[in-house]
Amino acid sequence: MSLIELKNVSYSYNDSTKAVDDVSFSVRKGDYVTIIGHNGSGKSTLAKLIAGLLPVKEGSITVDSLEVNEENIPQIRKRLGIVFQNPDNQFIGSTVRDDIAFGLENKQVPSDEMEAIVEEYAKKVGLTEYLNYEPQNLSGGQKQRVAIAGILAMSPDIIIFDEATSMLDPKGKKEIKQLMYDLAGGDDITIISITHDIEEVLQSDDCVVLSKGKLFMHDVPEKVFANAEKLRQIDLDVPFIENVRETFGKYKIKLKANDLKGMVEELCRSGSKR
Amino acid sequence: MNNLVFGKYIPIDSFMHRLDPRAKLIGLFLMIAAVFVPKSWWVFLVIGLMLALALLMAKIGIKMIVQSFKPMVMMMIFLMVINALTVKTGDVLFTVGPVQVYSDAVFNTLFVIVRLLLMISITTLLTATTNPLDLTLGIEWILKPLEVIHFPTHEVAMMVSIALRFIPTIIEETIRIMNAQKSRGVDFENGRLAEKISAILSLIVPLFSVAFERAYELADAMEARGYVPGAKRSRYHVLKFRFVDYLFILICVGALSFSILSRFYL
Repeated sequence: MSLIELKNVSYSYNDSTKAVDDVSFSVRKGDYVTIIGHNGSGKSTLAKLIAGLLPVKEGSITVDSLEVNEENIPQIRKRLGIVFQNPDNQFIGSTVRDDIAFGLENKQVPSDEMEAIVEEYAKKVGLTEYLNYEPQNLSGGQKQRVAIAGILAMSPDIIIFDEATSMLDPKGKKEIKQLMYDLAGGDDITIISITHDIEEVLQSDDCVVLSKGKLFMHDVPEKVFANAEKLRQIDLDVPFIENVRETFGKYKIKLKANDLKGMVEELCRSGSKR
Repeated sequence: MNNLVFGKYIPIDSFMHRLDPRAKLIGLFLMIAAVFVPKSWWVFLVIGLMLALALLMAKIGIKMIVQSFKPMVMMMIFLMVINALTVKTGDVLFTVGPVQVYSDAVFNTLFVIVRLLLMISITTLLTATTNPLDLTLGIEWILKPLEVIHFPTHEVAMMVSIALRFIPTIIEETIRIMNAQKSRGVDFENGRLAEKISAILSLIVPLFSVAFERAYELADAMEARGYVPGAKRSRYHVLKFRFVDYLFILICVGALSFSILSRFYL
């Protein structure tokens, strides 16, 4: 069943170019969907449209049958959270504790219930010992975990990650990706992740490819990357594993495995047969 | 610039940190008034001692307070020059080139500088010991009566709090841009006035651009977390006046009274 549905959505910041051009697709409840595309392909604009941060001017977006419009936005925001690219620009609270509580205050959660919720979600993202720290004094990965805890505390059904790992060092990237995979593991939360990380795309259930604001492809990651040549035409990278499969394919060796270990085993088996 | 501490919150636990932000704000206004009123050095000495005690109770080192004076150094020098040139009463203390410096000029300058330093220290004490969100609540509470004339108290308080929260971030950004421009050959220290203005412009333009970008992103993040200006919100920190808060205000009232009386009796 579709939780989010986009129908012929278009958006332009000025009249000349369309940042999003006639995009339609749907997201099932509990899915982990990645959106990829080169810079300026409309990924972040699309995320902001879904979150109601930009007004839907053409087409329609529905979240659980509720149309994203001015009237429904407060209701939708209670169910949807967005984690942005730069963690430094997301903090309102002067301590981790205050920042996690900010959304709860907006949601009018009673004061005496907040402490337990703040501590629960700080624990979930592994930041219990940093509750009284200033967010700006934490590492990139920890900062992004604070932002995620702030969103999770609001108990959303949907979380949008807008290039949430792109400004982090490898350690921070790994931490946040693991947290995302853990969240995606359950059926409760639907995740939309805008990313340039091709390896992350392989972990998702569904992949949306945008090019110049238009929907270029929408399928499961394996099928998307099977069209390696088409992706290269729009300057997108393909995973290392697909490059390996393609190279062996040129020598009439078909590899079916979806991971490197499986491919090596397949190759060993075919070698021993010969 | 790295050491700029004005407006910075120090998240530690102390007696001053635990005081109600409303009490601290009222105390700030009373103490600033107390610094403005007197004409006697004795009052400054008493206020200075009270401040030293408050700093001790706030666990804030004198180093931080001294650092908070740094941005005011140029202003102090400017004050000295203006007073030396304009005040011509008292005895001639010394001569610098064609300018004779009078005792009243030195006395007035020192008086104004001490007044300024006390004000900065009191304000730094408030911001260092009050979490910006609590400060927002305090400002909102103080401005509450203005709601009668539809003054957006919460929005103003939130703006002040965010401005304070972003001071260190904007300073970091300034340093980053300065370094980037220096690496491209921009000289901020030397050159003629026109060159210096051009150098400053190369800093200010990108700084404004980055500040606006940050402001937009923060606004998006706040909206995405359900913040609606003017809408009802619950409070994580519930403010409660305690006995010590009343006592603190009473001490500040005492300081102001002493300051006012000093004009007549000292």
